[in-house]
Amino acid sequence: MLFQWGMRRQKERMNDGVQQEGADHSGEAADVLEEPLSPELAVNIDIIRRATGESSDIVIRRFSLGQETQMKAAIVFVDGLVDEKNVYEFLLLPLLTASFPLPLEEKERIQWIEKKLAAVGGIEQVSDWKRLFFNLFSGATILLLDGAALAISASTKGGQYRSIEEPQTQIAIRGPREGFTESLRTNTALIRRRIKNPNLWLETMQIGTVTQTDVAIMYVKGIANDDIVTEVKKRLARIDIDGVLESGYIEQLIEDQTFTTFPTVYHTERPDVVAANLLEGRVAILVEGTPFVLVAPALFIQFFQVGEDYYARFDIATALRFLRVLIFFISLVAPAIYIAATTFHQEMIPTQLVIAIAAQRESVPFPAFVEALAMEVTFEVLREAGVRLPRAVGQAVSIVGALVIGQAAVEAGFVSSAMVIVVSVTAIASFATPSFAIAISARLIRFGLMFLAAILGFYGIMMGLLIMVIHLCSLRSFGVPYMSPLAPLIPSNTGDTLFRVPTWMFRERPRLINQKNIVRQSGGQKPQPPAPSRQEKGDES
Amino acid sequence: MESVKINARQLFVLIVLFEHGSAIVIPLGVDAKQDVWIAILLGLVFGLLLFFVYRRLFEYYPDQPLTAYLPQIVGAPLGKLLAVVYITYFLYIAARVLRDFGELLLTFAYPETPLFVLNAIMALAVMYGVYKGIEVLARTGELFLTVLYLLALAGFVLVFVSGLVDVTQLQPVLEEGWGRVWKTVWTETLYVPFGEMIVFTMLFPYMNNPVKVKRVGLGGMVLSGINLAIIMAINIAVLGPDAVSRSSFPLLDTIRRVQVAHFLERLDVLFMIALIIGGFFKISVFFYAGVVGAAHLFGVSSHQRLVYPLGLLVLLLSVAIANNYIEHIHEGLKIVTFYLHVPLQVIIPVSLLVIATIRRRFSQPTK
Repeated sequence: MLFQWGMRRQKERMNDGVQQEGADHSGEAADVLEEPLSPELAVNIDIIRRATGESSDIVIRRFSLGQETQMKAAIVFVDGLVDEKNVYEFLLLPLLTASFPLPLEEKERIQWIEKKLAAVGGIEQVSDWKRLFFNLFSGATILLLDGAALAISASTKGGQYRSIEEPQTQIAIRGPREGFTESLRTNTALIRRRIKNPNLWLETMQIGTVTQTDVAIMYVKGIANDDIVTEVKKRLARIDIDGVLESGYIEQLIEDQTFTTFPTVYHTERPDVVAANLLEGRVAILVEGTPFVLVAPALFIQFFQVGEDYYARFDIATALRFLRVLIFFISLVAPAIYIAATTFHQEMIPTQLVIAIAAQRESVPFPAFVEALAMEVTFEVLREAGVRLPRAVGQAVSIVGALVIGQAAVEAGFVSSAMVIVVSVTAIASFATPSFAIAISARLIRFGLMFLAAILGFYGIMMGLLIMVIHLCSLRSFGVPYMSPLAPLIPSNTGDTLFRVPTWMFRERPRLINQKNIVRQSGGQKPQPPAPSRQEKGDES
Repeated sequence: MESVKINARQLFVLIVLFEHGSAIVIPLGVDAKQDVWIAILLGLVFGLLLFFVYRRLFEYYPDQPLTAYLPQIVGAPLGKLLAVVYITYFLYIAARVLRDFGELLLTFAYPETPLFVLNAIMALAVMYGVYKGIEVLARTGELFLTVLYLLALAGFVLVFVSGLVDVTQLQPVLEEGWGRVWKTVWTETLYVPFGEMIVFTMLFPYMNNPVKVKRVGLGGMVLSGINLAIIMAINIAVLGPDAVSRSSFPLLDTIRRVQVAHFLERLDVLFMIALIIGGFFKISVFFYAGVVGAAHLFGVSSHQRLVYPLGLLVLLLSVAIANNYIEHIHEGLKIVTFYLHVPLQVIIPVSLLVIATIRRRFSQPTK
């Protein structure tokens, strides 16, 4: 609280500063390009050359247009961003072979050329440099004509992208194997394929004064809450940053509250998960260059839901939900409970076990807190090493890791074997948490709880958890209470929280997310065996 | 006042948690021996009458807390003085409950930890919750009421499975006639926890649907009263009337008796969770009422600004109000009841209602 107050003060101070600096940096991207295009081809080509610093991947091909009359022209594209076959076959070839009638006005010429280029999509007339460069670097081919202060930009996007693969982070046993890629177009297509409806709306914008990254928001019109859509747009429009390299940039700029360890925007690699969220009325934010798609608003319980919950039958799904919440809880408190129980509350452990633990701990020179802290930190180091190291070295880390957190450490007398078990259980639990975003916040809070347990035992742990729950209840994601539908309790939506009711009972969409279009399916869909046929009846009698 | 609203369910949850609060852990009304459950139910009945008084006052001033309509009823100087008295009362009771809570932890789990440290952690949580506002408190309550009920269920099952319950301990009913029961009602159970509903006159204006206040308050109080009666009855059935009246924390002693299959025993943690949840909400509601009342009375723009100073005050007060637990309990039973509870929960609200009604009668014809 004190911290927040301090930050607010600082923010006020910073705001004063920002207003003076103002939109200074937005000019970084385009300093030379204020003047309009020149009618002279040579001048235009020269400007492009100079503006790009004669970069070698900018390809400029001059040629003569038409056969009876020669007219100088040039095409410009960025090597690697375009599909070269397209450029030559459908753009250059028609222009070279076409007969060019004379005399024609400048305007008519352009129209005539546009007609000739019908084979290529995305034809656009460009008259200012800013637009021209934006198109150029988005993969368009620019056609410049001598004597025209206009350029024609043709969409010839291409180049190499990673193909659609199975998602790396959210693996499902049952469920689609497709994952998002780095290409925004592929990603939107993956979603469209799942929701074939004109109401699936897509809006694109560029964010990043330097990078001009394409950012798209998708929602189902009529299901999504208009207030939330407007709010998302407003927050995106407010962003003023030099570059967006991953959706994490956007996430951190649009979340409701920064000072929390809990994620208030969901991200996923799976198109089926995004589609399901869109159907619940949420808004998806796609960013060019990353397979991670943001989904807002996010609720706490959402981080325990997995696509498979809905593909598997409800009893299995419910059991797994409970397991996941338990797992989250274990990864939060297991070491803290060990510390509290061995330091303060020995009477709570069964007698034989407490004797066994005490016997092990006899040789350990540290108090339980130091022991636990050392082991946890060691484990975190190992995990970090395992994640960052190249595959080839990774194996070595796991072998050495098994020594450090294992029998060798116990035999050396550094830690007790009970501690090794606790740390291992915690580690496995934290890997088993379905969402990495929530697992990582549990990791952070764990250390705080260990500290509290060392000072005040179970009382400390419980007060830590109490404050955590108050904090969770105070969070909002795009205005929606983070703990809903549990707190505030919305009984008709609790069927998809800890319990996952049978699919035919999913009558309503989340109420706080979309307020008007709530009914999702008709009632009376409970599967039943068919009424016994006449023959069977006859057999029975 | 905050501009947020809470719904009927949330108010209900707050009332239930508040009423259970510390009452489930302290020896509530044990002077009535095995008839304590009758004393609690009678306390509930008369507590409901008090509640109707509070609600009628709220009906007269539907969008204002108690401290705001006091000056309107009895005039500015006296009304403001009374408002200050009520704010002090709320903060003082918050400090008292905090002290109860700390003493309890001290006695049964942390004999060597300083009281101040135990209280300070709780005070921090309360301050954080109150800083976040009534809406967050209510939502937290919704989650924790479920936890509390699951605990209670587990506790019941364990107590019964252990074969501890001996219903004959509750007999003979009314051994010494009604006298002892009535005495307990008039000196204890009416005020704690039922008369303490006076604090909710500060929270009623946050209801999004004021019409439901009556139903919600009634439901919450009846449910809590019955629960408390059952809990005390079980305590007596398990421990016997003598042990209960000597025990500082009967529920703890009951839970400690539980022993199932040589595995589930020493379940103090269950008790501690119930204690923390109940204590937290009781202190929070009192503290919130005090803070909001003070902010309103002294024209502070946001109640959040008063959370730290008043929180510190409550924390220090909780340590300073008594030299030891015996003195603390003595003050609670002999002094606070007669000099604070009786006038502030009964006499003043009833006279306020009378004055307000008379004023209405006389002002309406002139309109």
